[in-house]
Amino acid sequence: MCGIAGIYAYHYAANAVDRGELRRIRDYMAARGPDGIGEWYSSDERVGFGHRRLTIIDLSERGAQPMVSADGKFVITFNGEIYNYRQLRASLEAKGCRFRTQTDTEVLLHLYAEKGEAMVDDLRGMFAFGLWDAEKSALLLARDPYGIKPLYYADDGWTVRFASQVKALLAGGKVSRDPEPAGWVGFCLFGSVPEPFTTYQEIRVLPAGSMLWVDRVGVHETKQYFSIADTYCQAEAARSPANEQDQQHSAREALLDSVRHHLVADVPVGAFLSSGIDSGALVGLMRDAGQREIQTVTVAFEEFRGRGEDEAPIAAEVASRYETRHTTRIVTEQEFRNDLPKILEAMDQPTIDGINTWFVSKAARELGLKVAISGLGGDELFGGYPSFREVPRCVRALAIPGNLPVLGDLTRWLLTTALPSSLNPKAAGLVKYGGSYAGAYFLRRGLFMPWELQTLLGGDTARLGLRRLKPVQHIATVLKPKPKTSFGRIATLESSIYMRNQLLRDTDWASMAHSLEVRVPLVDKKLLNQFASIAAKNGSQSKRVLANSPRVPLPPKVIKRPKTGFTTPIQSWLERDNRIQEWRRIPSLTADKCPWARRWAFQVSAGTAAA
Amino acid sequence: MARSELRVLALVTEAFGGRGGIAQYNRDFLLALAKCDRVGEVLVLPRFNSGSVDALPPGVQQLRAVEGRHTYSLAAACTAITHRPIDFVFCGHLRMAPLAAVLSRVLNVPLWLQIHGVDVWHDLSALQHRAVQSATMVTSVSRDTRHRLLRWVEIDPARVKVLPNTVEPQFQPGPKPGHLLERHAVGGKKVLITVSRLSSLERYKGHDRVIRTLPRVLEQRPDTIYLIVGDGDDRSRLESLALECGVAKNVQFTGSVPAEELPDYFRLADVFVMPSTAEGFGIVFLQAMASGIRVIGGTQNGTRDPLCDGALGTLVDPENGDELASAILAALDDPTRTGDRTTRFKPNLFREHLNALYRFFSNQNGGSVPARSSVRREKIVTPVPSAFHSLEKHQPCQ
Repeated sequence: MCGIAGIYAYHYAANAVDRGELRRIRDYMAARGPDGIGEWYSSDERVGFGHRRLTIIDLSERGAQPMVSADGKFVITFNGEIYNYRQLRASLEAKGCRFRTQTDTEVLLHLYAEKGEAMVDDLRGMFAFGLWDAEKSALLLARDPYGIKPLYYADDGWTVRFASQVKALLAGGKVSRDPEPAGWVGFCLFGSVPEPFTTYQEIRVLPAGSMLWVDRVGVHETKQYFSIADTYCQAEAARSPANEQDQQHSAREALLDSVRHHLVADVPVGAFLSSGIDSGALVGLMRDAGQREIQTVTVAFEEFRGRGEDEAPIAAEVASRYETRHTTRIVTEQEFRNDLPKILEAMDQPTIDGINTWFVSKAARELGLKVAISGLGGDELFGGYPSFREVPRCVRALAIPGNLPVLGDLTRWLLTTALPSSLNPKAAGLVKYGGSYAGAYFLRRGLFMPWELQTLLGGDTARLGLRRLKPVQHIATVLKPKPKTSFGRIATLESSIYMRNQLLRDTDWASMAHSLEVRVPLVDKKLLNQFASIAAKNGSQSKRVLANSPRVPLPPKVIKRPKTGFTTPIQSWLERDNRIQEWRRIPSLTADKCPWARRWAFQVSAGTAAA
Repeated sequence: MARSELRVLALVTEAFGGRGGIAQYNRDFLLALAKCDRVGEVLVLPRFNSGSVDALPPGVQQLRAVEGRHTYSLAAACTAITHRPIDFVFCGHLRMAPLAAVLSRVLNVPLWLQIHGVDVWHDLSALQHRAVQSATMVTSVSRDTRHRLLRWVEIDPARVKVLPNTVEPQFQPGPKPGHLLERHAVGGKKVLITVSRLSSLERYKGHDRVIRTLPRVLEQRPDTIYLIVGDGDDRSRLESLALECGVAKNVQFTGSVPAEELPDYFRLADVFVMPSTAEGFGIVFLQAMASGIRVIGGTQNGTRDPLCDGALGTLVDPENGDELASAILAALDDPTRTGDRTTRFKPNLFREHLNALYRFFSNQNGGSVPARSSVRREKIVTPVPSAFHSLEKHQPCQ
């Protein structure tokens, strides 16, 4: 868990690596890795790696990075955790590999020497790394299957640079700041910038579950080695345990296995706790996995005290059931106002979320934690979102009108021109988009509709951005191959769009700003493999399976509590904040019923939020 | 049907016998391409008539130029038919890209597209847009040109590569040639030089900016002469500007000079200055640096490449007169000659890189092959077959 950086001057005409630039990129990420710094340069100065370290496994200096293989052929700079590194190490040792450290980093070096790029298939965990293969004179960039850890790269045609953060690449001073219209359009449509774009033309995300080679010709085409859609398709074709008891048993085993793996660390592992099933069940499973001391933390707000939105009492009940050391951290409006500039500074790419994670991470770090478990991913895996019901319903209702040419555009045009602007903009897009999974999902998650963008971003950016992003087609590409069940389709969409671009990315910047590593046992390739078939059969009932998994059951209150989503008073705080009033200029945002996220998105895109 | 040698159809504006940067680039390119492994024959169809062509290198055949737009398209189609089979199409200019894209699609072969500069400073036409997208690989003369193309076109950036200009061996350091010192009466003086066409369509080159800066330069260095090499319809305007600025005495217009005299002109000068705002690359910078004189160019355009971000020459904001003046003075004040600084742009490196690009191109899937879109759609992890099967087993080029 760290910050990684690298520069490869691959083109014959390019200047050698500028050490000052590499250090600026690396040190911009100081918060990602406060415990150590390192750098490495090839003898011809064409390649340089940088690293900022947060020590979690093998706390000694031997674990420092970038790490060079014993024979000097391979060098790695790595961010993340390989949860099965002990198993991998054992099998490598059996083949005669000799290790110098106790780190997962060294396992990666040996595994690459053994298997080459196919190594990524063996890795369980979250990772982003740059690996220099001196024999091939080539750089390999790779990222974990779900995209938990970020990896950005900028290729100017002579030199490629990579880092864990967009803002770090810019801090180096040599990457173009020209905006990417598709990134801005994507942000306004979805509330987060969709892969592979960023808001800068030259900077791209290495997509989740992908790898990339750079040799002296330059960047090669991205190779995808893992697909969530594919996993669901395979699970649907396979047979799942027939009766409910078997299902519950194998689900418990799979969940416990994932939790156990996610506890690997040489420092204490805590947990975020809310009033929901996901985080509560995980704490129960942490107990079952044998962890005795568990520090849990919940964020609460003075405004909610004694009201239904207050998560603190239920969370405390869960904590006492599992006998954790529990802390409820109160966040006040004043603290929020003080932190807002820091939040916007830490926000690596524009987003409408992440503020909650900021405060809970801050609280965890105050308690001395370096690692915390989060229930993120439960709604995607177990079908917790309303979209699991609503999107299929919408598609069924609109499949026929939605497929009639022109009708969608016609109704959209009629509704937007003839009706008052107070009409929900999504209503106008219903016929146009509602007839397909990708389109209906777009409606469900969409923040703005394409025809609203001109006002927000200006005509050129909106036109170029839409031309490049093609939002609905963009969504549809994650559904290839297309799972047969509606559950499989929505789970794929939620995991590959919303969770990837929004939840995981926000969790990364908001936690790393506090030098806290967040681990997500419900976002796990192996768990997905084992669970996809059960989930595909049980549909949205499968959350019950999670709730029933801990040996000591969750309090009934938690299970019966209707899903509310995480509510905070942040919206009203923002509304009162006189630094954030730009949105009042835009008529469509001043309507009473306008969701706050739309105003906030405009605010962020107008770039005035920080002012 | 496995033939051992590949035949390439190259559609270019001009190549052998042509003048100017693009013709030079095309010659370097086609020569190197003809030497690539397994390339047997390069058929060059130029658009514009050029001067006499000396003996062509082995493997290269240049057809007669066809100037008219429609007749050129017709000629290209006829060439493609009569010289079948063609294994891939090279297109040397964005303006010809739509034609090249159609040909490559009809012939079902990959397209290699080369772009040079100002043609991508504005959004592309719909046809050009589609043509670029259909290219298997695009090579751009500079990072800046690549960046601008990627602003407009939806194409995987990994398919857009940079292949810079190269510099010919006759440009090398040497003493100031006596006959030119005499001809221009610049003995004992400091000489600033700009070499380019003087076209009213290319005012971005920045002669105006240099002339306007001269009064400030002359204040400290009254012995400076600004030599403007090249000719064109903008010359009289520049002459009046020099008068207006009161520096006419110190500005000399040479008119166009024969190619063989150009190296001497560079050696005559102390500093080459061209604060352009819109260079695709600026091969003249390489020629000047190879001649061992200092160079000053503009940021924010292709000039950054020959000057290697300032490592080989001085980059200034062209619109900032103070910056330009101090850069000129600093360069004039330094009496040492720098020697040839263009080792990284020599033809051998160009050829090696072109070989590597050619291998990349050969291994790309898709491009203009019609099956591409459907292949891509199905693709998850499965490798896609090579674009042209006959190349599968090829070895690295020499």
